[in-house]
Amino acid sequence: MKRLFPLLVAALLVAPSSTLAQIKIGVINSMTGPQAPIGENLSNGIKLAEEDLAAKGIKVQLIWEDDTGKPQVGLSAMDKLATRDNVAGVVGAYTSAVTNAVAKKAEQYKVPLVNPVASKEEITRQGYKYVFRVSATTGDYAAILLDLATTLGKPKSIAILSENTDFGVSGAKSARAYAEKKGIKVVFEEAYSPGSPDYRSTLVKVKGASPDLMFMVSYVADAITLMRQSRELQLTPMAFLGAGAGFSTAEFASEKNISHGVFSSTQWTPDVSWPGSKAFGERYQKRFGKVPTYHAANAYTAMLILGETAAKAGGDREKITAGLRAGSWDGLFGPVKFEDFDGYTNQNKHQMLVEQVQDGKYFTVWPPALASAKPLWPFPGWK
Amino acid sequence: MTIFLQSLLSGVLIGGVYALIGVGLTIIFGVMRIINFAHGELVMLGMYAAYFLFTLGHVDPFVSIVFVFPLLFLFGAVLQKTVINRVLNALPQNQILLTIGIGLILSNTMMLLFTSDYRIISTSYSSASFQVGQISVSAPLLVSFVITAAVTAVLYWFLLKTDTGQAIRATAQDRDAAQLMGVNVRRMSVLATGLGAGLAAVAGALISPTYYIFPQVGQPFTLKAFVIVVLGGMGSVMGATVGGVLIGATESLAGAYISSGLKDLVVYVLFLLILLFKPAGLFGKSRV
Repeated sequence: MKRLFPLLVAALLVAPSSTLAQIKIGVINSMTGPQAPIGENLSNGIKLAEEDLAAKGIKVQLIWEDDTGKPQVGLSAMDKLATRDNVAGVVGAYTSAVTNAVAKKAEQYKVPLVNPVASKEEITRQGYKYVFRVSATTGDYAAILLDLATTLGKPKSIAILSENTDFGVSGAKSARAYAEKKGIKVVFEEAYSPGSPDYRSTLVKVKGASPDLMFMVSYVADAITLMRQSRELQLTPMAFLGAGAGFSTAEFASEKNISHGVFSSTQWTPDVSWPGSKAFGERYQKRFGKVPTYHAANAYTAMLILGETAAKAGGDREKITAGLRAGSWDGLFGPVKFEDFDGYTNQNKHQMLVEQVQDGKYFTVWPPALASAKPLWPFPGWK
Repeated sequence: MTIFLQSLLSGVLIGGVYALIGVGLTIIFGVMRIINFAHGELVMLGMYAAYFLFTLGHVDPFVSIVFVFPLLFLFGAVLQKTVINRVLNALPQNQILLTIGIGLILSNTMMLLFTSDYRIISTSYSSASFQVGQISVSAPLLVSFVITAAVTAVLYWFLLKTDTGQAIRATAQDRDAAQLMGVNVRRMSVLATGLGAGLAAVAGALISPTYYIFPQVGQPFTLKAFVIVVLGGMGSVMGATVGGVLIGATESLAGAYISSGLKDLVVYVLFLLILLFKPAGLFGKSRV
């Protein structure tokens, strides 16, 4: 041991130059549990970012933690990453509920957290210095859809249906606020508990209210159940609007007889005209055999930004935080900059997009400057 | 009025499927006095079986029950013979741990094999319906209800009229007495577990065209089945049938008149109230 000691000291002294190449970054994601299908998109996006960082000579050591979609599991993952693994920064988590919990911990430990997709508004509205968000917020999800609807038609009423999770409730709240601002009357609003095989009783009430717009906030497969049962009940508003998540997955689009004509707000699409989007989509599909959702691009961008900044700062948490605040990036996710505005801290002002399923395929239809196809308006009716 | 009838109808129809899951659980409990906490996972296996029969073999999910039932019957029987049989006389907490463990192994094995991707069966009738006056009736739900009713009828006939069925009921009533009367209670336990697993799987196959499938899909069904069984009276097949329909209808009406986010609350309040006034459940006989 005694003989080893000088060697160890020597190794430590040499270390700074080599730590530059070896930076520990934690990842908290829903890798198992009910959110896992979307979690997989995040994981894959992060893997691609890891490769691209390596290509730039930045070697990051990723420490993967699974939150199983539960806030309490996410919290202990954050404890472990911050204290035992001593990571330089963390990318995560997926869901709003987990991220909101994890963000508080990150602030306590003063560990920079770059949040890829969780969109609950409050996450970056608590004045946290160490929490950065690449993702747009739920307010943006609703706003872009209603902008599209009021430009294309003259809707007078809206029904808001959301799941009773952080993401859903936050999305519904922003939708109500924005709709009222636009002079659209909210004729129905309800939060349902996700995973039920039967939403017919709720949808019958929606039908009774006969809204011009139907706005839904749902994770993965509930979107399909809701649309199937809407078809059963022959619900025909001017437009079905979905706030990302379950409405922007390949599975949803492939259900042609229920997805045709449905709009969904999204943060990224493979056919958007941001540099590198198309290539990313193709690369992802080649590598993983699936079409990526926006979650993959968000996670890719979050990891790339944190990786580059951490490398520049030599792994020092304070310097990384300063670097994140000062920097600006541009890539397949459009321009990214963390700013303070409207009560937000370290929030990226992301340009939302609207995609529409047309014959089983997603097309970017809004805003016109970034669109790849013309929107179908109003709802063409059930196939 | 339309809302009431519409909700009642879809609630009763989906309740039929719940009943099938509950009946499976109650038969297993009746014969072995073991609560099968892996019951929802058996539903999940039924769903996957229907999914693969549909995607690989092009078998309609409703027809697939002809294959799914024997397959899962066999699985249940083997499970009983190899694992569950060993804890028949063990402490209740050990039995609970065992069945929970089986459930975890099943769902995680499925996740390893088929990933946690949501699988969706798309049939031409997945969102088909027809109008009866003001009410729209979901075609797949109606078909599944009719099949459920038929399966339940056959099950009643089997339990009431056949020798084996009577032996199962005898074992459920009093295991020792049945054994003294020459009933092969070990065989009955194997049969009962097979039957329970088969019924759960049939229920899974029946809802697969309108629902979605992933490895963790079973857990809520375990809880639901447990509530149905306790509500109807532990071990009572009649009770589970009524309990299932009751829970389905309550959920649906609560969703329509209170809030769909609170429908579970209503179900559990109803559940507590019934237990308060009839502790043995609707059709249960209190045991001393």
